[in-house]
Amino acid sequence: MNPHAMLVSTLSLLLGTTITISSNHWVMAWTGLEINTLAIIPFISEPHHPRAIEATVKYFLVQATASPLLLFSSMSNAWATGQWDITQLTHPTSCILLTIAISMKLGLVPFHFWFPEVLQGSSMTTALLLSTALKLPPITILLMTSHSLNPTLLTIMAISSAALGGWMGLNQTQIRKILAFSSISHMGWMVVIIIYNPNLTLLTFYLYTLMTTTVFLTLSTTKTLKLTTMMTSWTKTPMLTATLMMTLLSLAGLPPLTGFLPKWLIIQELTKREMTLTATIMAMLSLLGLFFYLRLAYYSTITLPPNTTNHMKQWHTNKTTSTPVAILTSLATLLLPLSPMILTTL
Amino acid sequence: MSLLHLSFYSAFTLSGLGLAFHRTHLISALLCLESMMLSMYLALSIWPIENQATSFTLTPVLMLAFSACEAGAGLAMLVASTRTHGSDHLHNLNLLQC
Repeated sequence: MNPHAMLVSTLSLLLGTTITISSNHWVMAWTGLEINTLAIIPFISEPHHPRAIEATVKYFLVQATASPLLLFSSMSNAWATGQWDITQLTHPTSCILLTIAISMKLGLVPFHFWFPEVLQGSSMTTALLLSTALKLPPITILLMTSHSLNPTLLTIMAISSAALGGWMGLNQTQIRKILAFSSISHMGWMVVIIIYNPNLTLLTFYLYTLMTTTVFLTLSTTKTLKLTTMMTSWTKTPMLTATLMMTLLSLAGLPPLTGFLPKWLIIQELTKREMTLTATIMAMLSLLGLFFYLRLAYYSTITLPPNTTNHMKQWHTNKTTSTPVAILTSLATLLLPLSPMILTTL
Repeated sequence: MSLLHLSFYSAFTLSGLGLAFHRTHLISALLCLESMMLSMYLALSIWPIENQATSFTLTPVLMLAFSACEAGAGLAMLVASTRTHGSDHLHNLNLLQC
C-alpha cells in the first residue's frame, strides 16, 4: 500500500479510538466511531480482489447502519432528558437502540452475520485489527452505559453469542472464519458479566485481545489460511507450531493457561449473583469452542501429516523470528499465576 | 412526544427500514443511509433552536461533514463492487458464504 495512505489510515485509526474512549459527549463518541470506520476501509479493500471488495462493502454497510442508530438513540435520550452525557442514558427506547447499535458494531448475536464474511475477505493483519482494535471503542461505550441497559436483553444476547459462536464454528475449514466465531463467543462472555462487574468485562477484553493477537500473528508468520495448509505448517517452524497449540488451548479456556482466568472469574461472579443456570449454560457452550480449537491444535501439532519433503523440516526457511510473537505467546499462556496482581490492578 | 419529534422518529425509522429491507441494489441502501443521516442532521439542527444552546450550533455541520465522508466512501465501494462483481446487485455478493 502507498506509505502515505497507510500512515494516514493508521493514524486515523488511533485517533478515532482515542476520541471515542476519552469522550463524555455522545457526538464525540459517534465521531470517533465514524473515523474508525472510514480509516479501516482502505485496509480491508487494499488487495482489490473481489472477496476483499465484498468484505469491505459488507463491513461498511453494517457499521454505517450502526452509527446513525447510535446517534439517534442519543438524540432521543437528549429529547427526553435534555443532556448528552454518555453515562446518563436513561430513556428506555434509547437504551434498547443503543444496545442494538453496539451489538451491530461488535458482532453480537442477532447482528453477527457480517463478521465471519468480513474477516474471511480481509488479510490476516487486517482481520487482527478488526477483531481486536476496532472492538475497543464499542466495548468502551458499552462499559460507560452498562448500568442503564436491560439485563435480560444483554444476557440473552450473550448466551446466544456463545452458542452460535460455538456451533457455527464447528463446520468451518477456513481459519479466519473459525477465529471470527471464536471472537463472537468471546464477545458473548464479555457481555454476560458487564452489568454485574464491568471490570471483568475489561479483563476479558484485554486477555482476549492478547490471545487473539498471538494467534493471528502466529498464523500470519506461517501464512496458514486454511486447515489443510495448517497441517503442513509444522515443517516450516516446528517450535512456533507447538506454541500455537498452547495459545489455541489458552483461547479455549483450559485451566493452567491464561484463557482460563476470565472464564473462571465470570462463572464465579455469576454464581455469586445467583445466576447459576446462566453460568452452567455458558460453561457448557464453551465446550463447543473447545472442539474446534482442539481440532486446530490437533491438525497443526498433535498429528503429523505427510509433508512435501522427505525431511522433517523444510530446508529452505525464511527465518522469520519475530520478537512480538514470542513475547505475546508467553503472555498468552503463562499469565494465570499472576491473577491476584491482575485483579488488584483492574 | 411532540409532532416534531414524532416526525423525526418516523423519518429515521422509515429510512432505517428501507436500509434493512433493500432487496436488489447497493445504491438504494446507500440512499437510505443518506436519508438517515439527513434526518439526524435536521434533528441536530432543531436542538439548539429548541433549547437556546447556541454553542451547540456547530454540531449538525460536524455531523454532516462525517456523513458526507461516509457517503463518498460508500460511493467508492459502489464503484469498486461494480468493477469486481459486474453490477451493484446485492445477490452477487456471495463469494464469502459460510
